[in-house]
Amino acid sequence: MRASDLDDWTTGTALDLVGSSVDRVDAVDKVTGRARYTADVQLPGQLTGVIVRSPIPHGRVVSIDTASALGVEGVVDVLTADDIDEISWYEDDAPLLPGIVRYVGDEVALVVAETRSDAERGVGALSVEYEPMEFLTHPDDVERPGAPELLGNESADEVEEDGRGDVDEAFDDAHIVVEGTFRTPVAIHNSLEPHGAVADWVGDSITLYTSTQGVNDVREQMGERLGLNHNQVRVVSEFVGGGFGAKQVAWKPTMLAALASKRTGRPVWVMNDRSGENVAAGKRNGTEHTVRIAADPDGRLLAIDADVRADRGAYAVKGEASAVSGPYLHLYQCARVRTRVRRVRTNTGPAVAFRAPGYVESTFVLESLMDELAGELDIDPIELRRRNHSSRNQQEDLEWSQPEGLLRSYERVAEVARWDETDDRDETDGEDEHDGLLHGRGFAAHDWLAASAMPPGHAGVEFNFDGSVHVSTSAQDIGTGTRTVLAQVVADELGVDISSVRLSLGDTSTGPPAPTSAGSTTVPTMAPAVRAAAAAAVDDLLDAAAEHHGVERSSLSFDGTHVKSSAAAFEDQPLGDLLSDLSPRVVHGWGGRETIAEDVSPRAQGSAVAEVSVDPLTGEVRVTSITVAPDCGRILNRRLADSQVIGGVTQGIGFALTEEQVVDHRLGVVVNPDLNEYLLPTVSDTCTIRHAALDIPDLRANPLGTKGIGELPLIAVPAAIANAVRDATGIRLHELPITRRRLLEAIASSEALDHESGDHR
Amino acid sequence: MTLAVPTSLDDAVRLLDEHPDAMLLAGGTDAMVEINDGHRRPASLVIALNRVSDLRSWRHDADAGTVTIGAGITYTELMEPPLATLLPALAEASRTVGSPQIRNAGTLGGNLGTCSPAGDGLPVLSALDAKVRIVSADGERDASIHDVMLGVKRTSLEPNELIAEITLPVRSGWQGYAKVGVRNAMVIAVASACLAVDETNQSVAIALGSVGPTVIRCTEAEQHLASAVDWDTGVVDHDAIGRVGELVSAASSPITDHRSTAEYRRHAVGVLARRLARRAFTINGVAA
Repeated sequence: MRASDLDDWTTGTALDLVGSSVDRVDAVDKVTGRARYTADVQLPGQLTGVIVRSPIPHGRVVSIDTASALGVEGVVDVLTADDIDEISWYEDDAPLLPGIVRYVGDEVALVVAETRSDAERGVGALSVEYEPMEFLTHPDDVERPGAPELLGNESADEVEEDGRGDVDEAFDDAHIVVEGTFRTPVAIHNSLEPHGAVADWVGDSITLYTSTQGVNDVREQMGERLGLNHNQVRVVSEFVGGGFGAKQVAWKPTMLAALASKRTGRPVWVMNDRSGENVAAGKRNGTEHTVRIAADPDGRLLAIDADVRADRGAYAVKGEASAVSGPYLHLYQCARVRTRVRRVRTNTGPAVAFRAPGYVESTFVLESLMDELAGELDIDPIELRRRNHSSRNQQEDLEWSQPEGLLRSYERVAEVARWDETDDRDETDGEDEHDGLLHGRGFAAHDWLAASAMPPGHAGVEFNFDGSVHVSTSAQDIGTGTRTVLAQVVADELGVDISSVRLSLGDTSTGPPAPTSAGSTTVPTMAPAVRAAAAAAVDDLLDAAAEHHGVERSSLSFDGTHVKSSAAAFEDQPLGDLLSDLSPRVVHGWGGRETIAEDVSPRAQGSAVAEVSVDPLTGEVRVTSITVAPDCGRILNRRLADSQVIGGVTQGIGFALTEEQVVDHRLGVVVNPDLNEYLLPTVSDTCTIRHAALDIPDLRANPLGTKGIGELPLIAVPAAIANAVRDATGIRLHELPITRRRLLEAIASSEALDHESGDHR
Repeated sequence: MTLAVPTSLDDAVRLLDEHPDAMLLAGGTDAMVEINDGHRRPASLVIALNRVSDLRSWRHDADAGTVTIGAGITYTELMEPPLATLLPALAEASRTVGSPQIRNAGTLGGNLGTCSPAGDGLPVLSALDAKVRIVSADGERDASIHDVMLGVKRTSLEPNELIAEITLPVRSGWQGYAKVGVRNAMVIAVASACLAVDETNQSVAIALGSVGPTVIRCTEAEQHLASAVDWDTGVVDHDAIGRVGELVSAASSPITDHRSTAEYRRHAVGVLARRLARRAFTINGVAA
């Protein structure tokens, strides 16, 4: 059955589970440690591989002396470029183990041993000779006139342009223009579980247990590179400790484990350690934006002109690393928009998608400028956004699937954050004017794509002979709660108890194809698919019952426990009895979610309000509350939605205030590749987090009206915090994160300016 | 690598005397970070001190007006009464250390033994002029805290010596600790300060962390503040507090690194000292 054949589930249906805060079906497995993640996989005879990484940012690998490593007790094998077939990696088709390393952390070899400590001793004994080459780790240096061409940079010719209308003309006679240059940092995903795999090559086929967002994509990618058919590659990812966009493709540890397993004939475990994870497994690209916006006296946007540079690192990883132009093109009604994006190569780790890639960065910039515009024109920040509301995709000339979603978000976020109440939060408190805290609040809106380009997903639902239900799909649950939400949908469609529903997920050998979990698309793809499969299973059940009992098919119905008939002679039959009667006939259904309708543009937008207090003498910013109102469509499980909000908001606080990968550009080395010096927010850095839930089914987006929530709660948070800091201090920071040092320097230089101009306030 | 787990101080001292290159392991909150980062390889012998019961006790000598703390006392223990009541600044400093897990493991002796400029307990030990009992196979000796801390992760201990206990005075008068990091918890101080008032002697002590190679005492600021206080009323002039901040900033000697800049540290430590002084005394002449 196809999802589009289903009714919209809004009228006349009793939904017991969908919409309620059902406990995670795997909660006990997770808290007791029973859930098996990739790193937990232990197969008989398993070996451990440890990756040897380049210590220099650019240079030729002259020689690798493996003999000393092979002499270490417990070391079984060493893989270098000379030992393996030529396999190309990344979009650049660079060698898997390159002869010229491009960044500190680039993979050079794999040492395989009986235990991890044996392997680490082997790595210590391995001697690699490098011939260092010139390197550039800062994008400013790459763009400096006369800079050497090191990594095939064609940035000057590689500008991606997009937009509409004549932008330059609009700026010539605009009432007001607001502009600035802004920078965002390199941020690291820091999934609890790093990238890695256990590879088990048996005969002509391989099983890969791997921590991934897409088992099907890994199968395709690995099959292609190993010269295997899809049915010779089984990819298993039963539980995943987070991905955030960095696990959409197969990474080198997976391939290295596969090659090592083939060579040794034994299963091989390769997981990144934390420092490997933080330098070589993807990052949010650092960006620089020079943007100007023009408006009329009422604040209506006349033009947006954005010039963005993104630092993609040393290699191009498959997939969208950074959709930086999206917010400029789509968030507001504006007839003239121009975006120009240059992607620069540096001798640093590769950039990859990270929760709303590009959107978080550009939203900080656009919403900082909108906040400035509101201030200049003395218009309430939310009112300014209302005046610029867009109900359609202006690039494709299609209406948004939910044209009013963003307006509802504004209403809701203002109500929950009590935006319109008179506030005295601008006042200083504390003992005297020199030591008090400054209070402020900020607002920001955001756009998001809402699964507009998701591939189809499929699922099967089968009644076991005892009446219990088995759901199979290869879709994976990357930690968001997919397994629970799909169980809710199936149980409600069938009318059965959720405890009788079991799901097999994340295994290419047991489930039909499903898309990669990315772009907040898993639930909007797979929830309609499993619901269609459940409906098809009921159809099959009733077809079989009609034939078995010789009654009219149209007279039959199923209520979750019994098959009933409107025919007088028919006695209600319990499900289990009927299935025993039907045995060995299998009762099952197949469901699919096809591509979306083409006459609308699915969109999931939202907004956020931040409240902060700032210590103007130390530069400490304390976020006191964040309220977000994401338009994720129908909310299938409120508690799981709230969990996504808590996680997204917390990542937003980190991106705004503390998180930044720091590179020593003299050496080309990341100085904080760990959780000690890379500053994730702690509980003490978080705040009151409010989910101003909208819960408006978007039935033009899909038949369940649900759009996914993963990305949404993060996107506007850094911008809202920056705007709150501006409100509290009068200082507009143009660079994230707003560290204590940066803020204090900005305060000091603004005081110096005031002093020079004789304004002592 | 061999791990020795002595249960008596005598055994620990004997082992260390036989293996002066052994690594001493207390809470492990510094050592394990260094090992995990590959900055340190465990010595062939590691002597774990957490089962040495002599190091795990403390006593209050009411007549002498002192508290003697075994080197193995943890931050968690320091944070709770009765120790917290006797030594409030040390309790306040302990609360700023790491996370609950780290405070359960980390010890005061380990903090001093590592002697990081950012060690949260160390400005308190300095401000209170702690006395350190050091033991070895040769016997025991008492040293002033100021003679023990020499520089960045450098103490005057001989390779065969270990810290047994630390004696601090129970002072009448306000004392406290403040720090700025780069986030709100689980963080190394970018600047820290301890201020301790001695009402009996009508003096003030101010010690700074993270703004020099080791803890810095600010004699000039201390004297300026003590002489500005009306000791009968505990009132001090607003301007004197401002001057204390300036003197403290001037006494600091910070560096720039990836966590912060020297300028930020110098400024922040002055702010911290000023705020501690404001908490310690009643301020006269505050602008409304």
